[in-house]
Amino acid sequence: MSSIKEQFNQISPSEFFYSNRDLAGFSNPTRSLYTAVREFVENALDACDQKGILPDVHLIITAVDPDKPDPKPYILTVKDNGPGIDAEHIPLAFGTVLYGSKFGLKQARGMFGLGATMAILYGQITTNKPVTVKSSVDGVTQDVFELLLDIQKNKPIIVKHTTKEVSKKGLSVSICLEGDYSKAGTKIRDYVYETSLITPYASITFDDPKEQRFSHPRFVKEIPPPPTIIRPHPHGIDVERIRRMIVESQFEIPIIDDAMIEKVRKDLGLSVKNLSFTVIMEKAKKKWKTLPRQVRVVISLMSFLKMDFEKLNKIRIEDIDIPNKKLYYWDFGDSQSKSVDMDPESQYYKQLTNTVQGEPLTTFLTKRFQRIGPTTAVKFAEYAGFKPEKRMGTLSNQELVNLSDALQKFEDFMAPDSTCLAPLGADPLEKGIKKFFNPDFSAVVQRPASAYSGFPFIVEMGIAYGGDIKSGGPHVYRYANRIPLLYDEGSDVVLKVVNETDWGRYKVKGEPPFIIVSHICSTRIPYKTAGKENVADRPEIERELRLALQLLSRKLAAYMSKRGQADMAKKRSNLYAKYIPLIAEFCTELAGKKKEPNYKKILEKNVIESKQTVEEENEIGNN
Amino acid sequence: MKLATTKKEQTKIKERSKKADEKQKNILEMLKSHGAKIYDDLDNGQFPKFSIPSRSVSNIVFDKKLRQYILGTNAAVRSSRNSAQLRSFTQLMWLAFFANRLTQERKSSTLRDIYYSSQAFAIEFEDQSESDNIIVDLEAITSKPREDFHIFPEERSSIFGDLTIEYTIPGYEGKKMNLSNHPDGYSIGPSLTTAELVDTSAEIVIAIEKGGLFTRFVEEQVDKKFKSIIINTGGQAPRSTRTLLKRLHEEMNLPVIVLTDGDVYGEHIAMVIKSGSANAAHLRDLTVPDAKWVGVWATDIEKYKLPTIPMTESDIKRCYDLQKDPRYQDGVWKKELDVFLRLKRKAELEAFSKYGLTNITDKYLPQKLELAKSL
Repeated sequence: MSSIKEQFNQISPSEFFYSNRDLAGFSNPTRSLYTAVREFVENALDACDQKGILPDVHLIITAVDPDKPDPKPYILTVKDNGPGIDAEHIPLAFGTVLYGSKFGLKQARGMFGLGATMAILYGQITTNKPVTVKSSVDGVTQDVFELLLDIQKNKPIIVKHTTKEVSKKGLSVSICLEGDYSKAGTKIRDYVYETSLITPYASITFDDPKEQRFSHPRFVKEIPPPPTIIRPHPHGIDVERIRRMIVESQFEIPIIDDAMIEKVRKDLGLSVKNLSFTVIMEKAKKKWKTLPRQVRVVISLMSFLKMDFEKLNKIRIEDIDIPNKKLYYWDFGDSQSKSVDMDPESQYYKQLTNTVQGEPLTTFLTKRFQRIGPTTAVKFAEYAGFKPEKRMGTLSNQELVNLSDALQKFEDFMAPDSTCLAPLGADPLEKGIKKFFNPDFSAVVQRPASAYSGFPFIVEMGIAYGGDIKSGGPHVYRYANRIPLLYDEGSDVVLKVVNETDWGRYKVKGEPPFIIVSHICSTRIPYKTAGKENVADRPEIERELRLALQLLSRKLAAYMSKRGQADMAKKRSNLYAKYIPLIAEFCTELAGKKKEPNYKKILEKNVIESKQTVEEENEIGNN
Repeated sequence: MKLATTKKEQTKIKERSKKADEKQKNILEMLKSHGAKIYDDLDNGQFPKFSIPSRSVSNIVFDKKLRQYILGTNAAVRSSRNSAQLRSFTQLMWLAFFANRLTQERKSSTLRDIYYSSQAFAIEFEDQSESDNIIVDLEAITSKPREDFHIFPEERSSIFGDLTIEYTIPGYEGKKMNLSNHPDGYSIGPSLTTAELVDTSAEIVIAIEKGGLFTRFVEEQVDKKFKSIIINTGGQAPRSTRTLLKRLHEEMNLPVIVLTDGDVYGEHIAMVIKSGSANAAHLRDLTVPDAKWVGVWATDIEKYKLPTIPMTESDIKRCYDLQKDPRYQDGVWKKELDVFLRLKRKAELEAFSKYGLTNITDKYLPQKLELAKSL
């Protein structure tokens, strides 16, 4: 009986995304065109943000053949004034999936630069045209690449590479892709418009296929403070992450060759003289604190071997047996294996233990996580049932799992550090709202940082009423990490919170001219889908959104009631002005008098009263 | 008919026109004093206001002595300071102002006229019912019926019989008229309501609910045969008709009997003539407490074997409602109401035609007139 042998092949990331492009928002020509725009614009803004450059982003979409009906091929170009990309990285950055510079833990619009490569991949499969990347890092020369992706090998194919002289730094990416602008146009224009609201320090220009230009110049001159890269919070950790951190924390025993010995000499300041073992050790003891790890390891080995540099040159370390406190080495001179005992009390023994078995648990925790000090580390070790001095390198698989579980459950860690977040800030947000909507009333709030599952987040929210705002509200503008979210609003947590609010309680009735701007910043936004369009309803996030909205709604209610009073006073004053003279006219004839009574006193008194209310209303509106 | 020429009669005329002048003077004085008060308030920088007796159901009570519904002591302040009342305040002021002109110039107008006239003064009424309401407000404040301000309803009823009147309206002052000269009867309008009642040979007033029967009564010379003045109320008697009935009763000493359809609504038409309606509880002098309802009674239906039609549900409901009315707690009122409820059937005045067209005037009416003496 012959069995069919199954073929197991490894597939490349490119192939994986090629077959699962729906996940990343490339499901149809309409959505794909929109997603491609987003990915390139967001990359451009991220690049500028990272270097503190006020972004100038220029988006151009042109139809290859304008007379063809949609869907049809379009050329999409995004230019920025960012730092550019070194020529040597360009093929890999644009011609491989999962190659990027955004792997640190801090807030950015995109995580891995994955989307841009997906867009390039999509363009290539629909039109079979290469991507054109123009980059200048120095503002003098520009590298121009035409690249194709080898999907099976996940490797770039350079079609063409030229250089030319330019006068500006920056990056320009241009792809040809199948799209449907007649359907995607509204969303793309909305996207550009809403992006400029949350990125008030950027100038964004959009030239659409119908040769219409949408310009959104910057109206804020300062870039909000950039986020810092931080260590992870223990609540946001998993087993795999710990395993990788342990590998990072262990060190190879350095190969003791001439170069290494030369480095040790130099670091000890002994490069010229050839000194005895005792003198070397004394010198090392004095300089210990300034010595790099590798040098310390070499010194530690020397301390047990009791050898100077000359002798050291003639041996090779074979094994460091920590439990048996023995050091094995091969002596080239005698051509045999030898061993020395190690004193466990010696500080050098500890140094070697660290190197071989990894750091003790407490050191590992305090050094590699945020929000864990020595005291917390000891308390945690007790909670998790580990000895504080337990070496990380000696953890079994089960112990690793236990450690990971305990890290997530231990409640005494402080909330995550939020310096890795880059909220826009209340002032620029309010400036944006005022500029975009010219409202009668606006208010913004930035909530203090909070965290869900170890990921810090900040909620910023703004609310505005009246002015240029169309009725039929509340209209909700949703943002996450400075990206507008336009699709799938139905299942979003922000809308859930807004819809659950009883606006009648805040004196907002009917179809009010009323908008809400919500911005969630986090190192990881809990999107429901890979398309980054709606945020899942984590209780912690929902709570912060609710608090922000309540605070703003109360301010709105105060304004509305003032507005109502002012409206009433105005109305009343109008009524008096209309009717009192009539009453005067009628009663004059009725009373048989010639001259009308002096009713002006009543009117004047009333006008003053209503004026006061209107002024109060304006005060609130300006705050 | 000759105009009065004797000295005695001339004196009488003078007295009568003096009386009419007096009344007009009183009305004008009253309006003037209201106007002066509001004028002073405005001049002193005060928001003018006045008090209006409440016409809500809870403030309508039955006065046994007066034998009619009257308003209780509850009153509401209508102030021009209150923006919700400012509009109706101004409307009321305009109405007083307009009524003042009407009264001075002795011109009459209708409820509908009022609604339209307001538009010349930038006083908008949303519909006639709003302006009608303001007219009732004025009545309530002054305790005078709108007719005193020369405002009359559209509805007209008519009168026929030997009654001499003398007009007081401009252009007809002193002119006399006998109301038996035109067989279709005379419609009871402003000129008749304000006219002086000079002379009559009649001994009784018969108020009848329906125009058809009114014509029959004239044809059959009921006025002559029974020495009566016949009045067609046209259903529920309008106020001007009730005022005239009262004046005929008081000034000419004529008893008033009422003849209606044999149903609960007919019974109540008679009751309103006798003791007024809750709607006009703010007014006096509209009732004839001695008026008598002589038929058609529920008991007549059985007695005269009249053809009947079944009561509707709303008829029956009306019966139960009236059973709670203090005026229906005794006498013929209570008895007939109970029989109506028992029969659950009703008969119209025309039902007597079963026995011949003149049966009602030849047989029924004489019996009832005889009976009325003992009621």
